[in-house]
Amino acid sequence: MIQFENVGFRYGRGPDVLQSLSFEVPDGAFTFVTGASGAGKSSLLRLLYLDDLPTAGKISLFGRDVASLTRDEIAWFRRRIGVVFQDFRLLDHLTAAENVALPLRVAGARESAYRDNVAEMLQWVGLGEKMNVRPAQLSGGEKQRVAIARAVVASPDIILADEPTGSVDPDMAERIMQLFMEMNRLGKTVVFATHDVDMVGRSGQPCLDLGTGSMSSGVAA
Amino acid sequence: MKRGALIPSEAGGGILMGLIIAAMAFLACFALAGSLGASKLANAWTEGLSGAATVRIGAEDGVPEQQIGIVLDILKSTDGVIDAVPLTTGEVAALLEPWFGGAPELADLPAPAIIAVTIDPLNEPDSAIVQAQLDGAAAGAVYDDHGQWRGRAASAAKAVRSVAIGALLVCALAIAAVVILAVRAGLHAQKSNISTLRLAGAEDRYVAGLYQKRYFWLSLFGGLLGCGLALLALFGFNALGTIDRALPALALPQFWWIGFVGVILFVVLLSMFAARLTVLSALRRGAG
Repeated sequence: MIQFENVGFRYGRGPDVLQSLSFEVPDGAFTFVTGASGAGKSSLLRLLYLDDLPTAGKISLFGRDVASLTRDEIAWFRRRIGVVFQDFRLLDHLTAAENVALPLRVAGARESAYRDNVAEMLQWVGLGEKMNVRPAQLSGGEKQRVAIARAVVASPDIILADEPTGSVDPDMAERIMQLFMEMNRLGKTVVFATHDVDMVGRSGQPCLDLGTGSMSSGVAA
Repeated sequence: MKRGALIPSEAGGGILMGLIIAAMAFLACFALAGSLGASKLANAWTEGLSGAATVRIGAEDGVPEQQIGIVLDILKSTDGVIDAVPLTTGEVAALLEPWFGGAPELADLPAPAIIAVTIDPLNEPDSAIVQAQLDGAAAGAVYDDHGQWRGRAASAAKAVRSVAIGALLVCALAIAAVVILAVRAGLHAQKSNISTLRLAGAEDRYVAGLYQKRYFWLSLFGGLLGCGLALLALFGFNALGTIDRALPALALPQFWWIGFVGVILFVVLLSMFAARLTVLSALRRGAG
């Protein structure tokens, strides 16, 4: 479970990006995070993937207060969290398959153990033919799908996605959305940040609106 | 599926870093060779002089046989003296020949009487006591166990060794400094990639291990190249006769090559250690 209790966050001495934010995401839930640009969607995700600590309040992940985690524990927690970054964050010198395999290599898995898994993941996102292509030769949508495959390849408990449909056409956005729904059906907790309120409305999933700080129950439109 | 390096090859300084390490290893090998050569030189000098002493009895009008006999008696009764043999006039003349040439009038010179004394190197007599005994019995007799020369040789060798050790330390510091600078630059250039690795769950020691591995290969390449070139240079000197003829005592001792292997191992371990510590320190300060 993800639990925020009166969480506040700001960068350095800047203005508050998040203020007194409280919500819970149960295990296995699919939750949207919406808000206008600058509302703090990416900052909230940064807190969730432990790239920053809250400046106020308390965040609990997997039953632990994240402020109490050691550096090694943070690394272990990150292995349970798959992240799709807005800017993809693919390693340019690696192929698509090597990028997807990254979380498995970092976790110490042998290549023979994950080779089939990586190929399967790339097939799943429709990039089976581009395993050995480097990011520079991929389109924005393809990079996004490589990033999704990388986020889920190690079967994390939580999947965080920061505007994963922001830079693709509507058809691709729908396809990407379906990939996340599929992961959620497999029991993964998904937190999906987007400014596309139409998509949120169509999905019928709960939504945290950072503009109001309220969590909607999620009723299908 | 091939398995690419998680850190791009240029992140560690690439081949240039290997060449810098090679240059340092080359200098370190020469410093080591100088140190080993100096040690052998000092040993050769001291070994040649230990176990032997001389008694010189000078007299304007020649040395009476009786006085030589008294000195011999004193020496043979001294603990630590194995043997004492007076040199013949011919032997003394042969010793003086380099200074006076082989002129026939050499025998007419008031050459001192010389007694060659063989002493036990493990139980050398106290030269001051021996001299005191001689002073009381034979005026003008001087006991010389070459202690002054041996001391100077040892001091000279020690000085050369100190300079060599200093040079080795400078090389080690230079290698550590250049590795630290290169790793810092690499971390800065690869900040985004390292951040991605860490967000994928890489622990600090995992990232440090990547750099450590990179510097293992770079320093192994540099160490082998530098020591290999030093080896070729030394063999080249040897082939030209520089070491064996002009400076015979600088010939390297047996198993000197173990020192070169040690230089390679040291360079590799130092580079890996410097790289690891730099990465761990940088990551804890917030880099990547």
